[in-house]
Amino acid sequence: MIDVVFLLLVYFMVATEFKTAEESFPMDLPLRQGGTLAALDNEPLVILVESSGVQASDVSIRLVGPWDPVVSLQGLSAFLTSNQVSLISMDGLFAQTHPIRIQPTVNTRWEHAVSAYNVVVDANYTNITLDDPS
Amino acid sequence: MKRRGKTTSGIHANMTPMIDVTFLLIVFFVVVSQIVDRDTVAMDLPRPDHAASGLPEKAEHVVVNIIPAEDGDIRGFVVAGHELEASALHDVTSIVQTHLQGGAQEVHLRADKTTKYIYIHEVIEAIRAVGSAPRLQLIVSGDER
Repeated sequence: MIDVVFLLLVYFMVATEFKTAEESFPMDLPLRQGGTLAALDNEPLVILVESSGVQASDVSIRLVGPWDPVVSLQGLSAFLTSNQVSLISMDGLFAQTHPIRIQPTVNTRWEHAVSAYNVVVDANYTNITLDDPS
Repeated sequence: MKRRGKTTSGIHANMTPMIDVTFLLIVFFVVVSQIVDRDTVAMDLPRPDHAASGLPEKAEHVVVNIIPAEDGDIRGFVVAGHELEASALHDVTSIVQTHLQGGAQEVHLRADKTTKYIYIHEVIEAIRAVGSAPRLQLIVSGDER
């Protein structure tokens, strides 16, 4: 009997696939509404993302609008954090619920788009969408 | 009358604890092999630095896998276990819609880190086309646990 038991043990050990831990970024997917105009003070912040290589750090960032130049994920993080409305002093330009649109190019690697998304989430913004490719 | 020949030792190994442990191991592996999610496809998920991601909620969901090919292109999709060709975006919408109507509350999007964004966007639009504004979970690689 012990032989059969060991065979069963070996079978299940070999057949078992351990699942790698996975995490996620939640993103709401609202229906498209044609013809609606955003209020001027609630105009989305558009972040252009482009891959410049195959490494995780080979990503270039650009902001659409009259903002100081931002070229890297670190710069984006600093920009988003420094311009966030402070609950104490009410300084800053963007509330946490300010709409932010991440706009990768058609050839941007998924990991680079996700890295930009991660930076925005990490800066505590909550209204984030992945936009049409630029 | 006395027996002839060699005398056998009176010491026997007690097999009972070993069999108990072995059965416990079997039960463990049986249970673990049942909880593996069969809907997911092995791929190299994005792993952002200092990830602000969290564990996916336990809500009922449908998994959309984008199967990678070379140079950031894709071979097709696996949606809730159904294998589809890369051109079958309409079928992606149909299957996701069926699962959402059946009680699923979220859509888990899994894509390889090398996949070009154009393909990801097409799939997101296919999911958006279900018309019920589902909640999307962008799946990334977490820490090894």
